[in-house]
Formats: sequence, C-alpha cells, structure tokens
Amino acid sequence: MRSYWFRRIAGAAGVLLLVVCVNFFLFRLMPGDAVSSIVDPRFSPEAKAELRNLFGLDQPVCTQFLIYVRRMLTFDFGLSFLSQQPVWGEIKSRLPNTVALLGSAMLLSAALGTWLGVQAARRRGGRLERLVLFSGSVSFSFPSFFVQLVLLLGLAYWLPLFPLRGSVSIPPPTGALAAALDYAWHLALPAASLVMLGFGSWAIYVRNLMVKALGDDYVLAARARGLSERSIVWRHAFRTTLPPIVTIFLLSLPGVLSGAVITETVFSLHGVGKFLLDSILGHDYPAAGAAFYMLALVTVAANLAADAAYRLADPRIRLGRNGGD
Amino acid sequence: MMRFVDVTVTYRTPERTVEALRGVSLDLKPGLVTGLVGESGSGKSTMLYAALRLLPPQADSSGAILADGVNLLELKQHEMNRYRWKYVSYVPQGAMNSLTPVLTVGSQIDETLRRHLDISAPEARKRRNALLEKVKLDRLFANRYPHELSGGQKQRVSIAMAIACGPRFILADEPTTALDVITQAEVISLLAELVREQGSGLLLVTHDLALASSVSDRLAVLHRGLLAEEGKPAEILAHPVHEHTRALVRALGRTGGVKR
Amino acid sequence: MIAVTAAGILGPMMFSEPASTSVARPFAPPLWASGDAPPPLRVTLSGNETETAFEWRWDAPETITLTGDVLFSSPPASSSLELVLPDGGRVTLAGLDGARRRHIDIDGRDLDFRERLGLSPFDDAMKLLFPRNGRYRLVITGDIPPEQVEIELSAPGGAWGFLGTDQRGRDVFHLLLLGVRVSLLVGISATLLASFIGLSAGLTSGYVGGAFDSLVMRLVDLLLSIPVLPILMVIVGIWGRGLWQLVLVLGLFSWMGSARTIRSMVLSLREACYVENLRSIGAPTRYILFRHLLPEALPLLLATVTLGVPGAILAEAGLSFLGLSDPRIISWGRMLHEAHGFGAFTAGAWWLILPPGLGIALICLIFLDIGRALEEKADPRLSAGGRR
Repeated sequence: MRSYWFRRIAGAAGVLLLVVCVNFFLFRLMPGDAVSSIVDPRFSPEAKAELRNLFGLDQPVCTQFLIYVRRMLTFDFGLSFLSQQPVWGEIKSRLPNTVALLGSAMLLSAALGTWLGVQAARRRGGRLERLVLFSGSVSFSFPSFFVQLVLLLGLAYWLPLFPLRGSVSIPPPTGALAAALDYAWHLALPAASLVMLGFGSWAIYVRNLMVKALGDDYVLAARARGLSERSIVWRHAFRTTLPPIVTIFLLSLPGVLSGAVITETVFSLHGVGKFLLDSILGHDYPAAGAAFYMLALVTVAANLAADAAYRLADPRIRLGRNGGD
Repeated sequence: MMRFVDVTVTYRTPERTVEALRGVSLDLKPGLVTGLVGESGSGKSTMLYAALRLLPPQADSSGAILADGVNLLELKQHEMNRYRWKYVSYVPQGAMNSLTPVLTVGSQIDETLRRHLDISAPEARKRRNALLEKVKLDRLFANRYPHELSGGQKQRVSIAMAIACGPRFILADEPTTALDVITQAEVISLLAELVREQGSGLLLVTHDLALASSVSDRLAVLHRGLLAEEGKPAEILAHPVHEHTRALVRALGRTGGVKR
Repeated sequence: MIAVTAAGILGPMMFSEPASTSVARPFAPPLWASGDAPPPLRVTLSGNETETAFEWRWDAPETITLTGDVLFSSPPASSSLELVLPDGGRVTLAGLDGARRRHIDIDGRDLDFRERLGLSPFDDAMKLLFPRNGRYRLVITGDIPPEQVEIELSAPGGAWGFLGTDQRGRDVFHLLLLGVRVSLLVGISATLLASFIGLSAGLTSGYVGGAFDSLVMRLVDLLLSIPVLPILMVIVGIWGRGLWQLVLVLGLFSWMGSARTIRSMVLSLREACYVENLRSIGAPTRYILFRHLLPEALPLLLATVTLGVPGAILAEAGLSFLGLSDPRIISWGRMLHEAHGFGAFTAGAWWLILPPGLGIALICLIFLDIGRALEEKADPRLSAGGRR
C-alpha cells in the first residue's frame, strides 16, 4: 500500500518536473538573448541588471535551473511583461472565475449525465436510451467553440437574453446580492454550453456501467428480496458503480481545463485559461510559463485525487482481502 | 401449500425458441424438504425464477404457481412484492456475487427486514443479530463487507436473510456449489435444521443427487424441462423408473454412497 | 466523403480571383438571406440623356462608383452632375464646367470627393447622398446640354454570393471551400504521423516486452498526464505557427492511443499458436514482426487512424480558433477566429459562423462513421487470431 502511493506521488512529481523542464528550456530556445525571455527588453538597464542578478542569469545553466525549480515550488513567477504586475497576483485574481466556471459546469454535467444514464439503463431499448446514445456520439464531432459561438449568436445577439462578453457587467452592480446575480448571469451561458457539450459522454458512460450493474447477480438477488425499485437502482446498483464514476469525474478535469481555455476566450471571461492564451499571444513568457505550470499542477493533483477517491469509494479495494473461515 | 401446476416456460431468442419447462407440476408442503435434482439446462433454475417472478422479459410462461390459491404468475410486479420474502424467499446460487459489494452485510439484512416488517431501526438491528446467531455467525460480521467473508460465510448470510421474515417457503438454488465438502455439509444441515424449526417448506435445487437424497423428504428429478420422477428418495434410488434417473443413480454408485 | 474532397479540390478552381481579394462590402449577407439589404445599384446616363431617376428604399450603400465621360460641343460656363434627393435637395457630384470633354472617375470614399462635399475626412459621404427613402434623380445641369454622355453610377449590393462576405469583404463560400483542404490535410497527416509512431511503438513494445515495454508505457502515461491543449498552445505559440509545425506537434502528442491499442493486440497475438510455431522454427524477430504481426495489425490500425482524424481536425480547429495558426492560411478554425475577433457578432453575420463550424462537424462525423465501420470489420479478424 505504502509503496503504491510512493510510486504514484513519484510519478506525479515526475510529470511536474517535466513541465518545469519544458517551461525552462522551451522559453530559452527562443531566438535572441535568453535573458529577454525573463527580463522584459524594455526595462531600464539598471532594472535588467538587478533582475539578472536576482534570477541568477549570469550563472551556469544548472544553477539557473535549480533556482527556477525553487521559484516554481514557491509560486514565485516573476513579473508579467504585459502588465508589469506580479504574475502570481494576476493568476490569483483570475483563479476564482475559472474555478467557478469549471466547478459548476463539471458538477452540473456530471449530475445531469448521470441521471440520464441511469434512466436510460433502466429502460433498455427505450427511446431515451437511443437518444442518449445518438446525441453522445454526435456531440463529439462538433467543436466546442462552434457550439458556444452559436449559443452566443442565438441567445445573446438575436435574443438578447444573456450578455455578450465578460465576467461581470461594467460597471458592476452594487450590493452583494445584485453582484452575485450579475455574476451568475454572466456565467450562465458559458457554464450551460459546457454542460451541453459534456453531459452526453457522461450519460453514455454511466448508462454502460449501469446496464452491466443491473445485470449482475446481486441485483437479481435484491429483486428476489422484494426491495423497492428505487433502492435497487440507487442504493445497490448505482452505489456499486460509484467508484469508477468518481474517478472519471476527477480525471475529466484535465480535459475540462482545455475546454476552459476555449470557453473563456469565446465569452471573454476573466479566467486563467484566457490568461494563458493572452500571454502566449503577447509573448509574455513569465506569465505563459506560470499559467501552464498551474494548469499542469491541477492536472497532476486531479490524477492523484482520482486514484485516492477510487480507493476510498470502493470498499473492496479500501479494505483488501482478509476473509477467513 | 405451494403448488406448481402445469408450468411451461419458453425463452425467445433471435435464433430460436427454447422450452425450458414443459408442463411441470410439483407440490411443496410446509415443513418438508423437497429436493429437485437435474443437471444444468434441465430447467431447475427456471422453476425458481418463475416462482419468484424474476424471469427475463424474453420468457413466456403459462400454467399456474399457486400460493394459497393465488396464481403468482398472474400477479403484477408490485403485487408480487407482497409475496416476496414473506411468503416465499430465496437462497441464491453462487452467493459469491449475490450480496451487494459496496454495502455492509448487516445493512443489507437490516434493509430486508425493514422493507417487509414494519419495525424501527434498533429493532431491526436486534433481529439481525439474532439471525446471525442462528446461522452461527458472530454478530460482528454485520459490519463487514461481502468480499471480506469466505464463501461459506456469505452463504450463511444469504440463509440468514432468507429466513429473516419467517417465510412459508424457501427456494434454495444450488446452495452448496463452489463450497468445499465440509462446508457443504455444514451449510446443508444448517438449512435443513432452520427450516424444520420454522416450519417452512424448502425446495432444494441441486445437481447433486447424493446431497438431495440425504436431506430431502421428497425427491423430484427434472430432465430437459420435464418432470422425470417424483417420490420418496429411498424408493427412487432403489427403483428408478426413468432412463435418466437410472443413469444418475448408476453414477452415484460409482462415486459415493447414500449418506442416510 | 468523396463529395467533400471533390468540393475541396475542384471548388476553388471555380473562382477566378484568389480568395483573398475583397469582392463586396464587408459583412454582406448571402443573396438568399439578404433581408432588407440593398440590391446593387446601377444607374446610367447615355446618349444625350440629361436626367434619370431611380427609387431607393434602403440604408445608404457602402460606397458609390461614378464613372464615365461627358462631351460637350463647347466648354460650358457652368455645368455639373448632380444628385437630386427626394426632399428636393441637390448634391453636386462632379463639376463639368470649363472643359469640352470630361472624364469622371469617382469613388464615394475618396478624400477629395468628401472634401468637395464639405465633409471632414472622417465623415461618411453616403449618409449625405442617401439620407432617406424615396425617389432620386441623377441630372446634368448647366447652361449647355451635353452632346454625348456615358455615365454610370453604381453601388455594390448589400448582399453577395452563396454565403456572404467576411469582415474584409471576401467571399465566404470560396473561403469555405479552401478550408476543406486545410482540414483534411492537417487532420490526415497529423493522424498518419501519430499512427506511424504509435504503430512502431506498440508493435515493438508489445512484442519485445520487458524493460523496453515498461519504459514505453511509462512514457505514454507521462505524456497522457500533460494537459493537451495548453501544451499545444505553448509549443505552437513559442515555436511558430506554420502548418507543418502544427502537424508535427499534433502527431507527437496523439500517438499514445494507437500505441496502446496496437500493443494490447500484439500482446494477445503473441501467445497465439502460429507465432509459437514460427519462433520454434527459428524465424527472426523482425521477420515475425513485419511479415505476420504487421498485416494482422493493419485493419485495426486503419480503423484507429480513421477514428483519430476527427481528433486532429478538432485540435487544429481549436488552435486556429484561439489565433495560434498561420494567418495567411485559410482554415475553418481561423474563419471562426476572425468571426469572433473581428466583429461578426456586432454585425449579426451568422453566415460567418455557421458554415465553418458545420463544415468541421460534418467532416468529423464522416470520419467517425467510416472509422466505426472499419473497426467492426477489424474486430472479427482479431478474434480469429487471438483471444478477445
């Protein structure tokens, strides 16, 4: 058990290390002075000299690398070229928006997809099942940003029900409740689009798991015992399929992160994904590297959490074999 | 009394139609153990599922299974629930997978109790502990998960659940397959003892003629969906009428004796 | 599928001008959905006409073009070409006095034209010329009537073509057809590259096994743990936006799936009887790999490739949409990027948004369809050889 976790965490650390390496070397491979990937060329010579010193740019590459690693671990990301502000501050201000978007979208699409999947499994061969299978396979082909653009067109332009862009109105309304409602109003369309795109695959996955579970022996035995349909479906069958569902939920996070970049761009939300894009387009290397590192961190954390959650949720793995007569 | 009257069950598959049971009639008397012997494919499990109304959608059934005069085959599912467990209960085949893996054994027993008897949670717990005791399991087993129990222990839990609501009839489907010989004997004698104690009728379905004849009051042999033979075990063993029974008895002679 | 490819190759040949030239006013809706966009205007004065009238019931056009020649018998003292507005007001479009022969070549956006009308360089002349609906007249006034006139006043229509125009006035339908090429090219080559890498990795890893196998699998796990789009963004953003770089990057990051599939297939086949036989008669590893396992793997590989193309197409579209592709190359993702970034929304230009997106979806669906059919075909062959 212990060795398992040790290996998993070592693996995670390896991924992070790889990301840091990529950040470090990639940005240095840029044409021109390696320094200018960290220090904005427009800075004054004194500032440059100081920063050079601070980042140890006169020192050999190995030392620089170690310094870089240490900085990554302490979230010291330097200054952004574009805004001259500390990158960490920029990311921090955007993090809540991204979390709000992703959190609500993931939970809603998982909930909706799960419910639909269970219902589809219960009524095998029914219309719902066919609909679920069909829409799941079709929705894969439509690029996410296309769906979102169409939504914007339809519900924000032709029928001005929702705002066209932004996380909050400008100027933001006063009063906590009004501000919260305004925020939710701005979040509604992006989150809804993500849910629309995501619930299909959830429904298919859950449906497959449930079909298998409902065909299992213990369900038959439970039916023989005369337990209520609701209990059989939810307390027995669904609960058994819960571990893989939770795992997939957490593992979907990296994919959703990619979706966040696009969504935040389409709807012009003030989030980390858009920040990544803007910094890449603007050649703001410290910011881009930092944003990428944060995303990789979240991905690695999600993978570890998925592993832990699965073991926790499935008593067969949690407790191991220790039966005996 | 529970009576199977001319029960016919047909399975419809895309390739062909299979007649699993053909006009089988059998009576179960309370307080007695009736053994149903047949090899795989003879339709013995089908009889149990028919009685519990657990046949898959592609099965057609006709005839009658009478419980106090009511034909179970004609009941709707929710009406059948009134009979399930209180009138007729079931010890599943392969207890390996018959307990929900993610719930503790105790909670599963409790749920069954509370579903059919109108009792409170603490009362259910008391009864559950009593049941565990009856099947000779320590009450601490209630907090274990099914995978933590051995095959024999799981089987005992299934038996405990089957007798929980004091049913008039218990249908046991191959309760001892996949158990070692010693455990087999223990489980069977436990089952027989409990059944006689409670006055329930037991239908013991098995492919093991020796086992069935050692413990049953009446014996029936099923062969390809038809009832080949029925009567007292000693008589059948001594004077088998049907071709198939004779083959079974001969095989018995070669492998082991009658234990009675 | 064939129809799409044909459209992509033959379609652009139908157009005489390259797609990048502007053909009509920006954000012109398609002809069949023009709503209340103005039709093209063409009013002429010829022979010795001095006046003609036309109805105008729409918003002012983007611009006008006024060309032609006027010939007088002798130079007039005062003469001009005027536009008479519905309310009676008059606007002098061009002065005709002082010369016997006049050549006119005016574009409504010309600075001097606007200056002559008394407008600043920032004002729009059209609003002055077409203030309201009604009956307009184009007249030549002066002391002497002209002898010969050949004048044309035209304005481009508000609508254009099959699918309208984009923010630069380019024909969207033309752009759409060009986009087919890019999507197919990038999608197929990236997937081919990925499959090639995946095939080699999967074959050798599955067959050789041991430390090499674990190493390759570790690498696969590692690569799978990196968030896909962000790393693509970073690499493309830093390294460059060329088409082939995109293909390379996409290929390098999507080989893991096919590697795993091939490897598991090899693992199951490895224990199959005939492989044992081959080994026992001393066939070299390479022989077994190439002459036997490879042909077995091909149907499955084909299916995997076909199923992988939509992924590559979507990835390219995504990166283009974010702006990380070569601006000189027209691709559907790029079209959507420009639609999003350059004001299609404020102009309500749905014809810029729906066609490219639907195009992407259509191509993906086609590949998925073919791929699934291939997969089903590949399956029975698998079960014949191995365990499954």
